[in-house]
Amino acid sequence: MLPESLRRTISDDLAPVRPLPPAWMRTLYAVAVAAAGLAVVVAAFKLSLRPDIEQLPMWLSWGCTALQLVVGVVLVGMALREAVPGSGVPGGAVALAVGTGVVMQILVGVATWMHSPGMPLIKGHGLKAGVTCSTHDVALALPALAITLWLVFRALPLRPSIAGLLGGTGAAVTADAINHILCPMSDLRHVLVWHTGMLFGLMLVGWMAGKLWERKRFGNA
Amino acid sequence: MGVDRKAEEERLIALMIGYQKGSMDDFEGLYAALKQPLLRYLWTFVRNATVAEDLLQDTFLQIHRARQTYTPPRPVRPWVYAITRHVALMHLRSGRRRKEMLADDQLPEIPVPPEMEKFADKATLHRMLSELPHHSQEVLMLHHLLGMSFQEVGQILGIASGTAKVRSHRALKALRERLAENQGGE
Repeated sequence: MLPESLRRTISDDLAPVRPLPPAWMRTLYAVAVAAAGLAVVVAAFKLSLRPDIEQLPMWLSWGCTALQLVVGVVLVGMALREAVPGSGVPGGAVALAVGTGVVMQILVGVATWMHSPGMPLIKGHGLKAGVTCSTHDVALALPALAITLWLVFRALPLRPSIAGLLGGTGAAVTADAINHILCPMSDLRHVLVWHTGMLFGLMLVGWMAGKLWERKRFGNA
Repeated sequence: MGVDRKAEEERLIALMIGYQKGSMDDFEGLYAALKQPLLRYLWTFVRNATVAEDLLQDTFLQIHRARQTYTPPRPVRPWVYAITRHVALMHLRSGRRRKEMLADDQLPEIPVPPEMEKFADKATLHRMLSELPHHSQEVLMLHHLLGMSFQEVGQILGIASGTAKVRSHRALKALRERLAENQGGE
């Protein structure tokens, strides 16, 4: 027998709802919005390909960009899957996916440093170059991050910080995939401090967004 | 999956679709079909019938708020049990739990996996089950009592189906060992 108070609450708010599309469809939607956003950011900042792009082996320039984009999309897809109750991503898969994103970014940075004649890090200009690159990283990640978190929090992630972490990592890896062929600096210190640092920063933003949402939605997180 | 289980799952999916379209009758059907198993599941967390009843209402309110996140024709039960589990865990995390310490005679019965019943009397099994770590009790409850597949258990708990299988195997093994110790001691 349905308790009267529950019956009243439900019947007062029983508007028809449209079910969420499956995770793969929401991922495609996120990819389309993020791609449009990336194009706008590239145009707005007048970003161009790095000068040594022709000297880099194809697998390292476009190949790694494509691979990182795939990993970024997978991470976004996992975040959107995690956002639906009963579709939780196992902890091992989360660790593997996030770890792959981070390791790949570092390995691509190291490989580029080894292969590229690159632009040397001019003494005294490291901070300026770093801030510029970080700004680009954030701007490039923002469309993917915004659409992913919006889609995640429109659903009901029961582990929102995990969903946020996956979304943040996905957006950061996607941004790095693009910035890797735009940033002219190959110096490993620049890559590890600014680009890898920004990757971790965006992961933290996703995780924190999840924590905040959890507190807002459930109160006692 | 048996024919009954399949038919039951199809009925739940139909009810859920109707509920998403705004049918109160379908919500009531869903409530009637899920009330008892959800109460049993909630008991494994709170061991208190009154609190479990309250949490059941909270669960259905959460289900209502999140009803658009169910995507037909996915199975309904992993979706519902994941929400239920979350409601119970949020309750345990909150300070309310400490105020609900109860005398032993108020503790409800923890159901026992049928394959264990032949090993000892129900009272002994209840005591031993309640002494198992909560994650072991939970897997036993979901797989052996509520008849869910390891894949569904994994979806509810956010773990791989293999991990769910291992947990269930270890829980049954631990239970058998305790029973052997118990029988040896008598």
